[in-house]
Amino acid sequence: MDYGIEDRRIFLDDIGERKKVELFLNNEGIKLDKNLDYTVGVYDSKQLVATGSFFKNTLRCLAVSSEYQGLGVTNTVVSHLMNEQYYRGYTDIFLYTKCNTAKFFRNTGFNEVARIEDAVVLMESKSKGVQEYVESLSKKRVNADRVASIVVNANPFTLGHQYLIEKVASENDVVHVFVVSEDASIIPFSVRYDLVKKGTSHLKNIIIHKSGNYIISSATFPSYFIKDGKTVVTTHAKLDLEIFKKYIVPALGINRRYVGEEPYCEVTKKYNEIMKLTLEKDGIECRIIPRLEQEGKAISASRVRAYIKEGKIEEIKNLVPSSTYEYFKCRAAEGLIEKIKNNIGRH
Amino acid sequence: MEIKEVSIAGTLESSDILVRIEPKEEVGIEIELKSSVEKQFGRQIRKVINNTLETMGVKSARVIATDKGALDCVIKARVECATFRAAGVTQNFNWEVIG
Repeated sequence: MDYGIEDRRIFLDDIGERKKVELFLNNEGIKLDKNLDYTVGVYDSKQLVATGSFFKNTLRCLAVSSEYQGLGVTNTVVSHLMNEQYYRGYTDIFLYTKCNTAKFFRNTGFNEVARIEDAVVLMESKSKGVQEYVESLSKKRVNADRVASIVVNANPFTLGHQYLIEKVASENDVVHVFVVSEDASIIPFSVRYDLVKKGTSHLKNIIIHKSGNYIISSATFPSYFIKDGKTVVTTHAKLDLEIFKKYIVPALGINRRYVGEEPYCEVTKKYNEIMKLTLEKDGIECRIIPRLEQEGKAISASRVRAYIKEGKIEEIKNLVPSSTYEYFKCRAAEGLIEKIKNNIGRH
Repeated sequence: MEIKEVSIAGTLESSDILVRIEPKEEVGIEIELKSSVEKQFGRQIRKVINNTLETMGVKSARVIATDKGALDCVIKARVECATFRAAGVTQNFNWEVIG
């Protein structure tokens, strides 16, 4: 059966091509994501009939024109993207789609992780990915009355983080600390993790985890088929918290989640707001802790990075624990400091 | 042959099969099959996958296969390819065994 259909890569840098893809997706009610690494198009005699893209290990912006549905064109798109993902070294692949189309992707070997009604479904290629993650987490489960959790990026670990974790540790029997393992921050995960570990070594009731794919990762960050910025953040937050509620809370028996108050970043603020709403509905207490201040200004990792960027390593002494300070003083950190100096991104 | 990493081979096109092989700690072959012709040929597909892995000397692996009506020879070829990739074998294939 040959319909004369062929698939080939689309380069979105080509404005003409980009416009075609954008228009095509808009017809299917999907917005073209801003961050895409790769896009494929399926053509029937030069006419675009289906498209799909990925960013890192997540497939997104998938659409098949309505006349071509039921011909297995989805399979062509997914096969093409999966093979490309494999060549790029990604093996645990995620996929975002709308609720009404999730069933088509089940036939391509994807399994549902979580969904937000009327908005988005997150699927994964591993057959028991999230279940295995839950299993590995539950090995570290400690049964107690007050089990709290906290997620930190610690980019890098500051006195603010230390204060927050100390406070949580004093109010609870067990604290699960998740360090965001996605390497989207300027400071690599191994360093961030290490500094969290050193900076909290005096606390006995904390357990440090790698956050993995299922807590605040590029996989839990959808930003397309949603009209404006606010909806994007809301949906992202809801999905992320849904996964937290559905898998992580029962695995560890968590009944409280803590966050530091967010005075600057709108996105984090919104996330915290939704966290309170979603989790408290299910009986998980959310506590927002005001930030630790130093000379009238909240201590934040971005302030620390700003000092490092300006080459004022001495200035961070009052903002970070000695373990973090010592790390940045030692020779091993020279390369990283250079990287921070040249960094123009947000993180 | 030892399965060292996750690999995939094949496509989801009609008459093809997408095979994903993952390392597994315990000895044994675990097959998870999703097929459009599961009812008619499910048993046969599993048999071909098992036989192919056995011939290649794979003792433990988890295979996730999404089949779209592939013929036995296709299934065999895709499993072989995925196994070589998963085992990191890129040359000096033993054609007599796999042929």
